[in-house]
Amino acid sequence: MDFYYSLAQIIGFHTLLGLSAYIVLQTGQVTLAQAGFFAIGAYVAGMLTVLAGWHLVPAMIVAGLAAAIMACLVGFPALRVRGLMLVIATLAFGEAVRLFFFNFDYQIAKGDVKIGPLGGEGFRQIRWFPENGWTSFEIMLFVWAVVALVAGALWWIDRSRFGAVLRAVGEDELAAQSVGINLTAVKVTAMTIGGFIAGLGGSIYAHYTTHIEHANFNVLLATFAIAYPILGGLRSVFGTIVAVIFVQGFLVEGLRFMGDWRNLLFGALIVAAMNLRPHGLIDAATARRLARLFGREQRRA
Amino acid sequence: MGFVDYVQAVIDGLLFGTTYSLIGIGFTLVFGVMHKINMSYAAASLAGAYCGLVGPQLLGLPAWTVFPLSIIAAGAIGYFIYLTCFRFIPLASPLATLMSTVGMLLLLDEIVVHSTAGMPQNYPAIYDGDPVEIGSFILRADLLGVFLVCVAAMAVLLALLYRTRLGLATRAVAQQPVAAQLCGMRLQAVNGLTFVIAGLLGGVAGAMIGASVGMLSPLISGPITVKGLIVTVIGGLGSIPGAIVAGLLVGAAENLFQALRNVTERDIYVMLLLFVFLVLRPGGLFATARGRD
Amino acid sequence: MRKTAVLLGSALVAAAGLAFPGMAAAEERAVIIKGFGAKSGVVRSFGINSEAAMRAAADLINSKGGVKLGDGATGKMEVEFLDDRCTAEEGISVVRRIASGPALVAIGPTCSNVAEPLFGVLQKKAGDASDSGLQFPIFTDVAVKGGLAKISEWAFRNVPSEAQMYNSLFEWVKQTRPELKTIYAGVEENFAHSRASWYAVMKEAAPKVGLEVKGEAKWLLEDTNFSQQVREIKAAAPDILAIAAHPFTTCGVLKEMRRQGVKVKMLIGLTSSSSLETLQGCAREAEGIIIPTSFAPVTPEAEAAAKQAARFDGSLDLHSAAAYENMFILKKVMEEQKVMAKPDTVQADREKIRKGLAGLKQTDGLLGTIKRTDDREAIKPYLYVHAKDGKWAVLHNPLTN
Repeated sequence: MDFYYSLAQIIGFHTLLGLSAYIVLQTGQVTLAQAGFFAIGAYVAGMLTVLAGWHLVPAMIVAGLAAAIMACLVGFPALRVRGLMLVIATLAFGEAVRLFFFNFDYQIAKGDVKIGPLGGEGFRQIRWFPENGWTSFEIMLFVWAVVALVAGALWWIDRSRFGAVLRAVGEDELAAQSVGINLTAVKVTAMTIGGFIAGLGGSIYAHYTTHIEHANFNVLLATFAIAYPILGGLRSVFGTIVAVIFVQGFLVEGLRFMGDWRNLLFGALIVAAMNLRPHGLIDAATARRLARLFGREQRRA
Repeated sequence: MGFVDYVQAVIDGLLFGTTYSLIGIGFTLVFGVMHKINMSYAAASLAGAYCGLVGPQLLGLPAWTVFPLSIIAAGAIGYFIYLTCFRFIPLASPLATLMSTVGMLLLLDEIVVHSTAGMPQNYPAIYDGDPVEIGSFILRADLLGVFLVCVAAMAVLLALLYRTRLGLATRAVAQQPVAAQLCGMRLQAVNGLTFVIAGLLGGVAGAMIGASVGMLSPLISGPITVKGLIVTVIGGLGSIPGAIVAGLLVGAAENLFQALRNVTERDIYVMLLLFVFLVLRPGGLFATARGRD
Repeated sequence: MRKTAVLLGSALVAAAGLAFPGMAAAEERAVIIKGFGAKSGVVRSFGINSEAAMRAAADLINSKGGVKLGDGATGKMEVEFLDDRCTAEEGISVVRRIASGPALVAIGPTCSNVAEPLFGVLQKKAGDASDSGLQFPIFTDVAVKGGLAKISEWAFRNVPSEAQMYNSLFEWVKQTRPELKTIYAGVEENFAHSRASWYAVMKEAAPKVGLEVKGEAKWLLEDTNFSQQVREIKAAAPDILAIAAHPFTTCGVLKEMRRQGVKVKMLIGLTSSSSLETLQGCAREAEGIIIPTSFAPVTPEAEAAAKQAARFDGSLDLHSAAAYENMFILKKVMEEQKVMAKPDTVQADREKIRKGLAGLKQTDGLLGTIKRTDDREAIKPYLYVHAKDGKWAVLHNPLTN
């Protein structure tokens, strides 16, 4: 059972990563910076619990805020560019963050050992969960409580006036602007919220793996951040959750019995999924059906 | 480190940069015609180079056959990518093809890993003699050869685009797909052919990367993809001369920063410079006045 | 997932059904040992070789009567190998999956960057009730970065001690080639193991025998252009060049050195590069490179083991040889600790194995006796090999002299 609790935790923090890209994608921006914010969250939270001895919850909030501030700062210049240019600009930023941690040393002595991030060797022994006696089941409940809060908030945003504004910007910037929407404010807000969510996800990730190093936060992770919402569909937060379960639960762990074929199927099934459901696993039609299932018609933006 | 070293670093970078240029052109070519990005392009180019190795390693053909085989294989892989990642996905969903090609990138890399167990493979150099010495500078003779091959490949491509009916059709589809279709051009055929041409070009790039590095490893596909994309946007999307210049620039900048700073910090500066460049000049070096995206 | 669970469940039921009549007749039970490591990505060959070595060892043990269990029954070793893609997340996931099942112990992982987080997930001090870390013994064969086992008392390693190997290599160099005075290094900066091998091991060891360290050229794991680094090497003009890098960049640098005509009197390589990969990538340029390693088929046992592994489509190198040795060490520990291998004794058996491994002072290895340290690391016999005519040949064997 322990294994499934642990898998649920992985799905949990990957969902946070996916949701952080989901809100930015709502405004039509494809960003590869999320791995960078995830890294900031991981390092900040790890340093707070390990070096400063904080409780995890305040450490996570501070980590999220740190990532959010960074996202806001990056948002202003980055959103001058669009489309593929933005993809590359954010990729450059994400890589710069990763390389910053590659060169980042901050160690203090604790007893006879030195702890803290040490450049290329990584940051060892982030063991807040086991040291405080949390069982896998409890960690899973905690992770999913955070995921539920975040997903719930985004679900509510999707339904609010602000959600409609986000999608308006995503669908047609010119039209949105002409009805008086402040494009920069909307995009930067979405980016900041995304940064906060990625920071939360990163802080859970660091405490899950207990050891982080720069190489964990590479372009592949950034690609997966946008892959989840795209695979899942941009119509509903559930799409992202379904996509994470598809990738982490099915492609990575579920296919393990396939042995060597698993890795080949990984890419092939992503290609197949996009061919069969180009608008995501949960596209507009499915989302409407889902909404009906929950007893109310979804208001279209 | 003196002035001579910095100049030498820039020269090395420029010579190596031609392979970046070729990858960048491949990205830009597909983008120009379909307004879509093919993320698996660099991986496909390397996969083509790997296929070339089948000749000498398994069939016992002479070493030089590796080059034409690589190029042909990459062209075929290009068409395969078109069929699996573009042909049946609606044109209006750019995110879907972005994702399908990411899946293809992972698939191609894994196929290569499975067939070689991830071990680096020796790849023949195009020329194996001593480097050329000019004063206090050293030029790698084989890189000069790679440079010339890359320039020749670009020249052939430009001739194809601007001197043949096929090129005319390609450019027509790039500019006005609907109008081109109304004039009787078969959109799917032109798109497919573009992938084959871009694939062949990628094959040249993959073979030249193999030749200049001396080895192939699945390790290089990631960095080459990123570099290729960077070259594409710096050069301006859809601009072939832009990609050529940008490839050389990226090669030189990378080496210069390594000489000026440490290798561990090298890429930070390259990335920050890229970020600033894109923010200040969102259209790239040779921006076309095509508007958004 | 549900489907996998059902599949797994039914497989277990089927296995139990098969085992039951067997138990009644011959008192034979399965001893399940899982391997894990990278079987995808650039390090796939490591996983393939480790799996082959484990299967080869299990086959040999089973054919010679299996493991004698605590109640006199015979244990048959069963091996399964899982892929962790060399990522921390999957490594942890794989081990949690293994620990949820009937396996008594696991051998792995391939990558140091998996071993480090993985050991962090384990309970730090065995028996510490306030620590909810995983209680499962892991006996590492490949991940070689120095000093990792001290992270958890459930972590054991049978990897060579680089400090000791390079210390004595440099001493040997001093004795046999006293005319060599200076050393320079090439370091793969973004790979933790390569970095540690130079900065923490070789750079410390060289001055002790009077070698002058002239600095280091640096590159990254995925770099392809080494012209600048080779010029730095040329400018330093060292007698000895130590390359702390994996085969791909080791070959890249060696090829660039040939092109630029840079020659040194002696080349020393990273222990992990003494594999087939280097020869596959650049046999001609690597000619003469000296590498200390903990395996070469020089003893009758080692030769037999290499043949046995070849039957399972793997090649035995310093890493997979450790996996092979681990299986025999585990067999001995299980017999000494009277492991039961019954479904209701799984956790107790794991604790017995942990205690047994922790109590070992020395074990048998393919090249001779392996000493075990208090912090659960091994001090293995070693020898120096060099690349000669496209093959690894033994250059010097401190054991026989």
